[in-house]
Amino acid sequence: MRVKSFTADPLDVAAYGPVSDEQGKRSFRLKVVGEAKGVVICTIAGVTDRDAAEALKGVTLHVDRASLPEPEEDEFYHADLIGLAAELSDGSPFGRVRGIYDFGAGDVIEIGRNDGTVIMLPFTKAVVPMVDVKAGRLVVEPPPEVEAKPEGGAEEAGEEEGEDGR
Amino acid sequence: MARSVWKGPFVDAFVMKKAEKTRASGRNEVIKIWSRRSTIMPHFVGLTFGVYNGHKFIPVLVTENMVGHKFGEFSPTRTYYGHAADKKAKRK
Repeated sequence: MRVKSFTADPLDVAAYGPVSDEQGKRSFRLKVVGEAKGVVICTIAGVTDRDAAEALKGVTLHVDRASLPEPEEDEFYHADLIGLAAELSDGSPFGRVRGIYDFGAGDVIEIGRNDGTVIMLPFTKAVVPMVDVKAGRLVVEPPPEVEAKPEGGAEEAGEEEGEDGR
Repeated sequence: MARSVWKGPFVDAFVMKKAEKTRASGRNEVIKIWSRRSTIMPHFVGLTFGVYNGHKFIPVLVTENMVGHKFGEFSPTRTYYGHAADKKAKRK
């Protein structure tokens, strides 16, 4: 079977025990036998012929959260962080966590503000001093912002400054 | 000598100026920049920039191994958000 894996390491798709379908009614035990372009080749216990395999086409497989190993200190699963309520240090509501990304410059936390805007903050101890997954909340201290703009317009910034230098 | 060597790395002057000012003040500020083309210099290490991607400012915490790259490389304009079941984030 060709399985499109969304685990951090694609080959870990079978590392967390049996996986289940979206409704959690059916359980599958995968065994990784190889890797192909963008997919992992697996065998599924009990699926022995082509018709049985064809019947599983398009099924989404889910890992039980409880089967994932405990993260290390100051490490959090994205799934645990997404949806947490973000508060300021004085307890006032700030927004809700929408996503965690890493674009190559450290983890970034995306928070949907209560006024509908979206803000991205570095996921550091200085900016996110407290994370309480069990209580469903985290505390953020947004750092002050300064803008680096060309003072004299296009002249100071160079001839192409009008494009992106503002 | 190759042209790119004798010319040196390009950094917009106002980015350099603001970075030096922030470093001197010692404050933990996010420097919002539109200059995606500027090269990350060694003395930017430790500073946090908010690099505009045409939509929002992506925080870029500069580390040593980012020196020599351009700011724009860390602020994608077309984002595949993706999803990983077991992906973890480490708070630094």
